[in-house]
Amino acid sequence: MSYQKITLKEGIYFHKIQTNKFKTNLFAIFLTIPLTRENVTKNALLAAVLRRGTNKMLTQEDISKQLEEMYGAAFDCGIDKIGDNQSLKFYLEVVNNQFLPEKEDLVQKSLTLLTDIVFHPLVEKEQFKEEYVQGEKENLKQIIEGKVDNKATYALESCIESMYKEKPYGLYKYGYIEDLKDITAQNLYAYYQELIQNCQIDIFASGDFGEEKLEQIVEKAFATYTERKPNLALEEETKEEIKEPRKKMESKQISQGKLVIGLDVKTDKEEENYKTVVYNTILGGGSNSKLFQNVREKASLAYTASSSYARRKQNIFIRAGIEIENYDKAVEIIEKQLQDMKEGNFSEEDLSNAKNLLLSTIENIPEEQDTEITYYFGQELAGTEDTIEMYQEKIKNVTKEDVIDVANKIQINTIYFLTNQGGKE
Amino acid sequence: MKVVESLKIKEKVYIEKLNNGLTVMIIPKETTNKKFVIWGTHFGSIDNHFIVPSTNKEITLPDGVAHFLEHKMFEQENGVNSLDKLMALGVDPNAYTTNNHTAYYFECTTHFEEALDELMDYVQHPYFTDENVEKEKGIIGQEIKMYEDDPSWQLYINALDCMYQNNPIKIDIAGTVESISKINKEVLYKSYETFYHPSNMAMVICGNFKPEEILEEIKKRLVQRKEQGEIKRIYPQEEPKIHQKNKETSMEVSVPLFAIGFKDRIEQKDMVKRHIAVEILLNMLIGKSSKLYQELYNAGLLMAEPDISYDFSEQYAYVLITGQSKNPKQIEEKLKEEIKKQKENFDVEQFERLKRKVYGDYVVEYNNISDISRMFLSDFFKGINSLEYIEQYTSVSTEYAKQILTEVFDENNEILSTVLPKG
Repeated sequence: MSYQKITLKEGIYFHKIQTNKFKTNLFAIFLTIPLTRENVTKNALLAAVLRRGTNKMLTQEDISKQLEEMYGAAFDCGIDKIGDNQSLKFYLEVVNNQFLPEKEDLVQKSLTLLTDIVFHPLVEKEQFKEEYVQGEKENLKQIIEGKVDNKATYALESCIESMYKEKPYGLYKYGYIEDLKDITAQNLYAYYQELIQNCQIDIFASGDFGEEKLEQIVEKAFATYTERKPNLALEEETKEEIKEPRKKMESKQISQGKLVIGLDVKTDKEEENYKTVVYNTILGGGSNSKLFQNVREKASLAYTASSSYARRKQNIFIRAGIEIENYDKAVEIIEKQLQDMKEGNFSEEDLSNAKNLLLSTIENIPEEQDTEITYYFGQELAGTEDTIEMYQEKIKNVTKEDVIDVANKIQINTIYFLTNQGGKE
Repeated sequence: MKVVESLKIKEKVYIEKLNNGLTVMIIPKETTNKKFVIWGTHFGSIDNHFIVPSTNKEITLPDGVAHFLEHKMFEQENGVNSLDKLMALGVDPNAYTTNNHTAYYFECTTHFEEALDELMDYVQHPYFTDENVEKEKGIIGQEIKMYEDDPSWQLYINALDCMYQNNPIKIDIAGTVESISKINKEVLYKSYETFYHPSNMAMVICGNFKPEEILEEIKKRLVQRKEQGEIKRIYPQEEPKIHQKNKETSMEVSVPLFAIGFKDRIEQKDMVKRHIAVEILLNMLIGKSSKLYQELYNAGLLMAEPDISYDFSEQYAYVLITGQSKNPKQIEEKLKEEIKKQKENFDVEQFERLKRKVYGDYVVEYNNISDISRMFLSDFFKGINSLEYIEQYTSVSTEYAKQILTEVFDENNEILSTVLPKG
């Protein structure tokens, strides 16, 4: 495996991952801009409109047929919230030429198709095709309304929203229904032109490329693009001291309650991230974690109990699905775990278990093409250049004292509960 | 060892049936650091009525035993939970139960030998007590509730209920809170003794291994078991016709969910070929480039491609098309029309194109050792070697596809399950 980053122009980067582990090649283009209330809905809509047609393939049907001809190449696009930035993501996965039943070249075809979708959309009279924009507005509306369908993710979203009221990170990545009415085929196209002038562009290629001249193809594709300064948001906010955690309850028709506890990590040092990663794994990383052991196994209170670390925002989110009447008991047990962590009530074994789990997760990054791309994109946005080995080394070096140190910088920000009884703030 | 090879995709599987009856399949992968082992038994939620070979006695299990047993296998007599022990090694272990099999697996990059020790130890050494069985009822009860709240699970169970009258496939894999209350350690031991016999099990290993060496490692770790005759499984009589045409329920969803099913008859041979043909046909009927999908998408009736699948074993076979739509009824009507059109005027160009797509889909399965291993295990319990999909793909002709279209997509065997928004 080898990773190479080539700066095509300032703000436009080509990342090449040469690997022979897969039957497929994966190509990706990410457009990244700061997340704002003003643009969040437009971005979500834009990703959907772009996939509808290019200047050569006018309809989705044409694009799909082309993908099917290419032995079922898979195109996917989506929208992601990464800290206070938002990325429009476009992927194309295609079988590597070596494994086709007949000789064909799908590499050039794939890159052409993907860049056409993102940079050469179907435009009629200086605007997107009306029908596509209207159709996608309707779809997006349904996606936004569907937020409530998955209760577990809904609960997490709601907790984040209440912790980041009026702030970029509190925004829903798919945007807001009330914004849709003002978006037209014309102003969306104007917005798109502005976006591709200013956004950061990252192009990824992962696969076994041999002698293929990918760089030339990519350089040619971006020859007419100008350099840019995307002004992406950096995460430097300081956490306020919280005396009494905020409590929020919401009611829906459910039989299992969803508990989400949002924690603040009061640190601004980059190197402390690794300590927090270890802390989080001991707390709620897997079936050995304190949460799993104490909430599920010992108290038999839940089927799921875990925590995840959002490092860009320095938050940890604890999540558990529990019997509604067990709310107080579950909160009490979880608080006890946090206190235990502060007092160092965990063993060297807990620490080494957590590290083993993390090391093997990191080791597995190159075993999945999209995971590896996501890793290097994360490095790109954080402005770091850690190799997989460096990352592992930093995890290995975390000590018990480091974890206790982090534990004492952690406070409960919000306790959110999705219940079926009358909600209250 | 028997070797089956696919030159097209450059993969090989080594197969050995050991003296004790266990089938071992090894798929070497030189380019990965990961190692994957999965060990499964041909025992799933539908195997709830059988004759115990050792006693010749007929027995009926409460619903949910296979899944309950899966949960309980990790607990060891010395108080160790094997799941924890494997996690502590940095190994990623898990287990699952389906309609027709249960499987235990782990994936790792390091500590392979210790992990293999642990897996083979816990699967061969059950330890059930009244206390640990009782405790599990709380956890599984929560899992059942989680599924009760899951609209797509309810949609699926209702679709099965439409298609099947008596077949135990329609029973929830985890059982119900009521049925699991009847499970005790005796029930678990009896099921274990019967179904966790090597002759009823198979193992798949994928990673950078030398087949002969790893086979020896497996043999070394096997516990001696007495020979066991065939397990006679008893399934209720199932009419070929569907149970009911429609079933709907209301839950908290924003847009209705729908599942359109076609109950298929159970064929004893050529299932791979049939499966490939059904997948191509489903893509032709409602796949991304189909006229129908485009029409429904443009009309705002579908937001995304529906999920399409063909699921089968020796006891059942059905097609399922699931998705979300404002108007499920209309999707059903339009689909029926499209089937009729294709029957009258089969689109050969579309068929050839989607045949290529389906080939690509099969190749992609070989990207990931976990997908590979699970696929080989699950196909094995259907009497299939997964590589057959790559090899038989060329044999699916237009004529054959037309024949399958008529056989499988029969309006009389069609059902609709819906989950509608509440209120």
